[in-house]
Amino acid sequence: MVIPLLVILFSVATPIAIGAGFVTILATSSATGSAYVRDRLSDLRIGMFLEIATVPGALIGATVTVFLTHANLASLLLIALGAVLLATIPGAIARRHIELPPPKAQDARSQRLGFRGEYYDEALEQNVEYQGARTNPALGVMFGAGVVSGMFGIGAGVFKVFALERFLNLPMKVSTATSNFMIGVTAAAGTGVMFSAGYVNPVIAAPVAIGTAAGAFLGSRLLPGLRNQTVRLVFMPVVAILAIEVILRGLGYG
Amino acid sequence: MTASPGVPSQVEPLPPEAYTRMSLVLRAGLLVALVILAAGVIAYLVVNPAADSSSVIGHNPILEYLGLVALGQGLASGSVVAYLTLGLIALVATPVLRVLSGLYYFRRGGEREMTAVTFTVFVLLLVGILVVGPLVR
Repeated sequence: MVIPLLVILFSVATPIAIGAGFVTILATSSATGSAYVRDRLSDLRIGMFLEIATVPGALIGATVTVFLTHANLASLLLIALGAVLLATIPGAIARRHIELPPPKAQDARSQRLGFRGEYYDEALEQNVEYQGARTNPALGVMFGAGVVSGMFGIGAGVFKVFALERFLNLPMKVSTATSNFMIGVTAAAGTGVMFSAGYVNPVIAAPVAIGTAAGAFLGSRLLPGLRNQTVRLVFMPVVAILAIEVILRGLGYG
Repeated sequence: MTASPGVPSQVEPLPPEAYTRMSLVLRAGLLVALVILAAGVIAYLVVNPAADSSSVIGHNPILEYLGLVALGQGLASGSVVAYLTLGLIALVATPVLRVLSGLYYFRRGGEREMTAVTFTVFVLLLVGILVVGPLVR
């Protein structure tokens, strides 16, 4: 949301806005990630494993953005991003009433690397156990999420949560928290490229980082007490608005 | 090869201190970054009381502080933008330190595959920051 706002309201150049977007993600991820890790909602093992796909994706994505900026072709990619975001919504709505995923058999890698855990769900008032499943397709989606994140300076949490829920079969809350945990490292990779390429303006990025960190602290205090369905209902319209916004920007209306 | 749900894994869970320490790394890194950034923003407003959005947007001062030597000189001379840049570097360094923290716990637990994965992520981050960025500049 920060990137379109910077571009539309303050006439900030798109690559500089993307640079500020990365800084926003870093602040958000560290703020929310610290609380989720402390509360054991983030699965450190699964998150760190999947970063092997998101980080190279982000490096490639950010590099592509730098080249596209020079070639004036970023608008086509914005339209594609919006379309992909909209395509994820029907699947998420179909699962809207599933509070916890049904158990699935672990694949060999999940078992070997110990992809399983448990957490106390405050809303359900019970201990929830889970275990990872299909790691290969999850890695593929995570690489794509890394590319999208690197290209547009967004967290691409939609894709990460999708992979964690659909393939690794994690509960919604663990998926959200693990996605937040991973987003920081993905953003660090993209920020590194944009920073070194000169597309991060500290005078713009600093106040944006301070504001988003404050908001993120507040959000992370609210999530553990909410039901998964509530989280989903809040999540869906945000995705839809984001998708329409980037399509409009790509078409030159933003 | 698959296993039935509920079959215990051979791998020991990460110790509780791993969660505590990693949470601490994230909080401390963010706090340091935000303190530097907040002080920098206040100093910027004091030093540039007439700065408006067009003057901020029209000039990107980071290009003056991309090298370590230039950044060091900027910090020594009290440049506000150099301090803002330092705050941003602290923000980027926080998740990198979190990866190093994970590397420590996986290595200590004798988990060779997770250690290799985490080390690879760390190397990729360094390559991105130190090699890819300057190459595409």
